[in-house]
Amino acid sequence: MADKGIVFDVQRYTIHDGPGLRTELFLKGCPLRCQWCSNPESWAPAIEWGAYQSKCISLSKCGLCTPACPVKGILNFKRDKLTAIDNSKQVDYTDCEKACPADAIKQWGKTMSVSECMTIICKDKSYYEQSGGGVTVSGGEALLQSEFVLSLFKACQKEGIQTCCETTFYADWKKVEALIPYTDIWISDIKHMDPMIHRQYTSGDNKIILENLKRLTDLKQELILRIPVIPNVNDDRTNIEATADFILNELHGRVRTLQLLSFMRLGVEKYQSLNIPYGMEGIELDREAFQEHVAEIAAYFNRRGIHCLVGTKEQEDTKE
Amino acid sequence: MSNTHTTAIGTEPFDKTYGIGYQVHHTDWSPFSRVNKLRQDFLDRSYDIDVERLRLVTESYQAHQTESKKMQCAYAFENVLLNTKLYIYDQDLIVGEIAAPAKAAPIYPEFSVNWIIDEILNSPFEEREHDKFFIRNDEERQEILDLCKWWQGKTVDDRLQASLDEDQLKGSEVGEKIFQTNLYHYAGVGHLAIDYKNLMKVGYVGLIKEAKKHLAALSKRDPEWAAKRDFYQAMIIMHEAARTYIKRYAKLAMATAKETTNQQRQTELEEMAANCYQIADGTPKTFWQALQLFNIATALIQVESNGHSISYGRMDQWLYPYYEADMKKATLTKDFALELLEVEYVKMNNPTKLKDQGSMAVRNGRGFGGESLTIGGVDRDGNDATNDLTMLMLEGSAHTRMMNPWVCVRMHENTPYELKMKVVECIRAGYGHPKLYNDAPAIKAMMRKGMTLAEARDYCVVGCVELSLPGKEYGWHDAAYVNTPKMMEMVLNGGRSFNTGKQLGPDTGSLDTYTSFDEVLASVDQQFEYWTDQMCSSLNIIDALHRELKPLPYVSAFFGDCMDSGKDLTEGGAKYNGIGPQASGTATCADSLATIKQLVFEDKYCSGSELLQAIKDNWEGHDVLYAMVNSSKVHHYGNDDDYADELFKYMFECYCRHITGRKNLRGGDFRPGVYSVNANVAMGMNTHASADGRKKGEAISDNMGPVHTDAGSHDICGPTALVNSLAKVDHSLATNGTLMNLRFPQDAVAGIQGRNNLLSFIDAYIAKGPMHVQFNIMSSETMRAAQKKPEDYKDMLVRVAGYSAYFVELGKPLQKDLIQRTELSF
Ligand code: SF4
Repeated sequence: MADKGIVFDVQRYTIHDGPGLRTELFLKGCPLRCQWCSNPESWAPAIEWGAYQSKCISLSKCGLCTPACPVKGILNFKRDKLTAIDNSKQVDYTDCEKACPADAIKQWGKTMSVSECMTIICKDKSYYEQSGGGVTVSGGEALLQSEFVLSLFKACQKEGIQTCCETTFYADWKKVEALIPYTDIWISDIKHMDPMIHRQYTSGDNKIILENLKRLTDLKQELILRIPVIPNVNDDRTNIEATADFILNELHGRVRTLQLLSFMRLGVEKYQSLNIPYGMEGIELDREAFQEHVAEIAAYFNRRGIHCLVGTKEQEDTKE
Repeated sequence: MSNTHTTAIGTEPFDKTYGIGYQVHHTDWSPFSRVNKLRQDFLDRSYDIDVERLRLVTESYQAHQTESKKMQCAYAFENVLLNTKLYIYDQDLIVGEIAAPAKAAPIYPEFSVNWIIDEILNSPFEEREHDKFFIRNDEERQEILDLCKWWQGKTVDDRLQASLDEDQLKGSEVGEKIFQTNLYHYAGVGHLAIDYKNLMKVGYVGLIKEAKKHLAALSKRDPEWAAKRDFYQAMIIMHEAARTYIKRYAKLAMATAKETTNQQRQTELEEMAANCYQIADGTPKTFWQALQLFNIATALIQVESNGHSISYGRMDQWLYPYYEADMKKATLTKDFALELLEVEYVKMNNPTKLKDQGSMAVRNGRGFGGESLTIGGVDRDGNDATNDLTMLMLEGSAHTRMMNPWVCVRMHENTPYELKMKVVECIRAGYGHPKLYNDAPAIKAMMRKGMTLAEARDYCVVGCVELSLPGKEYGWHDAAYVNTPKMMEMVLNGGRSFNTGKQLGPDTGSLDTYTSFDEVLASVDQQFEYWTDQMCSSLNIIDALHRELKPLPYVSAFFGDCMDSGKDLTEGGAKYNGIGPQASGTATCADSLATIKQLVFEDKYCSGSELLQAIKDNWEGHDVLYAMVNSSKVHHYGNDDDYADELFKYMFECYCRHITGRKNLRGGDFRPGVYSVNANVAMGMNTHASADGRKKGEAISDNMGPVHTDAGSHDICGPTALVNSLAKVDHSLATNGTLMNLRFPQDAVAGIQGRNNLLSFIDAYIAKGPMHVQFNIMSSETMRAAQKKPEDYKDMLVRVAGYSAYFVELGKPLQKDLIQRTELSF
């Protein structure tokens, strides 16, 4: 069992990925490449570094990162500011990050042991107890480091902390199966029902995903399902109807809540910092009309008998 | 925390949703059209300056120049109440103002006049940037000037200027503003809650009877015989005047009734007149009469003195018997009880105070400020005290959404689920009330002040966050604001001011000379000792002047121990006496220490001299060090990081240690508070750069909160980490209170899940032991404002998608997107 994992962020007090107040661990590495992804720093499994131009003091007034860098001339400066970091050459930029006084170089990913994670997790135990919250492991793709997740969840179970795994399910069923006894809630999403389109936008096959969802619901596990609603990608009638059919016929409707997450133009700064082109650049959006459209989709699912909400809620406010 | 339940119920379901976040252009929150009208009428009125009190008080003082101070006060008060104009507002159900029309500010020349003359002549009230006031016409302007001139040399202010020595002056508001004693230098003290329970029981007639009894029993062998005689006589004159004032209102109500053609209004006015007669000649018999007596008694405290934070005590407790009796007799409906409460809530906004510019800077706002209304909590036996009124008082708050009253809910481990839910719904509505107080540390703090457990359990909140025992404590709670980063400046710079270079305090070393971090801490201790000496001795002088020049026989009658002892409140007549100065900028000091400890003494990243130079240069030309100090590489308070949190604790305890236990003239002692309200902004404006990475002029840290500089927020780990940091200090050491503001975006509290999360968060917060908390729920309006002025909104968290981020750190397009999304959610 892996005692160590590569974690790219630990957020305390998250409230959207699972019930109650939670601590969320974001694990590094993802087999998919969804074009709308807001966490490009999660893609590569290895540790990476990003440059935050706006925080850089300037090469002329500071420049402390350059002498610290193991490879000369590899840091890119434009108009005196650090603009991008080349992660393709397997360079270890740890010393640059350490030398930078301005938080302009950010290291994405850190090797953490289960016990290190538990120390942070346990600090907010009283909040989980009050709120019915716990720990969520997310990604990237959490199941890429499933052994680590397994150890972590076992430790959580020992502490009586509720666990939730957010995954694309683009993974071998065996990994899922191993985690089932230690996982209280699963969160996953259906990005598209059409295999071709799915591949086009995510570079992955949806067959594995749908298959795993079926197996999970056959075992009657707690599942919160999501659809990232992307304009002109998966928000058309045919796909929405096919998704509803799948949920009702193949998953037997065993979904706690279906959550529609409206497309947001997110993470652009992170794409820039990592020097990765942003795939959704072209999308122009009338936000108001789009939100209405998403609300209509939600209404459609509800008409089909699927409990569906916009956003990461599981229950709407009662109206006055 | 297990959930207990209550049968207490208001007019609405306990979990009714009042909307989420601030909503603009809403004028009908209340189900009662009367309340909505009164509220709108209030909002539409202008802030005037009213000359009448000044005129009547001056006239009386001129006529009684040789009488004792107490008698002068009594005659002046009487002259006001017998002659002031009376106002009954359309549709109002309760009468009584502070001897000025609603929203008009009277003048209190007993305390100070120099700034009034100066501002009229040199920087007119009408031209202030905020907190403007309007003098009605040129004749009145001239009259104010003439009358004020008569007072010059006779006021607390004049005498104080002459009494302070140089060491005190250089630190005070007239010097470098290391500590600011403005509030009671220029105005009355206030900050009390009277014994409403006893007032309701005996009425004005009962109090007068008691005073007469004590007067008759005085012995001429008592060396204080004359002082006590004057005290009782003054009290009797004043309370008789109050009765006359109430009867004048009764007559006016009758006359108004005769003139109206509206049948319903006529009946109302007749009943209002009857209510007045009843409370003038006896005790209240109904809920309505109790509220009427409450309103008059409280307003008149503010005729006697303009001390602010005249608070309402545990109103759901002392008012309850009247509600219960009327409900039993079926002479009152829940709806009408609520309507009356809401009418009174709107009325609580009427008293308006003209403040000098200096006080205005530390305490924005034109209301008197600090009218706290405490509900909930435990009773004297430790059982939960929730009743129907607790719920109704929250409903009224959500229905009126005004500056006043400052509803404060006392929370404890057995606070019923239904009350917590109602509290959460009010908080989610985003209008800034209620604030929450934590019984466990608060009761501990009261006992530190020498009270019994039963007394401690009966505490109420006065002002912002101060704890008080109604009818028993005169706590002088808001006595001064201390700019602790200024004291830290002396630590860094050998007791010299960065602004002027002058030697201000003792030279206890500087960043040039310290050889260990322990020496730095020792220097902090010495500077704090020196400056708290200056401040506390100044406060004792101010206290003595209030005693000499402005005794308070009217309000003293509501304090049983004053009544029994024949001693005025200002003479130490209350059972418990305090003086509470507050520390501002504690986190600024803590992060400064963290920087010094880590960078200078541990990592040797820079020398003390380099750091000192950078601060002297306002960080200019020291970009690397500036970035470093503000970066996540240096330990900062508010991140659940023991390194920095220990230093926060050190600063907190250092301040408390230097204040606690000093004696005051009224037989009590000094009590530390750790909060700044909004004074941190003005204080920052005249404070040079500091070691925590703050530049000259930026705000110092607020209340118990973490540091935010122009370069970024120093707390970056979210609210649970912040609360854990906050919980590492023993809040009960700050016997004058602590204050914590937390902001959440609407999104975080939306939906049933959001509501439950907020409720859980509060439960956990209370269990962890901080004393106070209040929440801000941000709206898209606020986010737009944040775009315009990002420097003021640095720590506003927005939930973006998979993560939460600081709004102002996001790109403009995303900000816009978020604003649109948020608007669509309601
Ligand atoms: S060390 Fe940081 S701030 Fe300095 S030049 Fe490099 S990236 Fe910019």
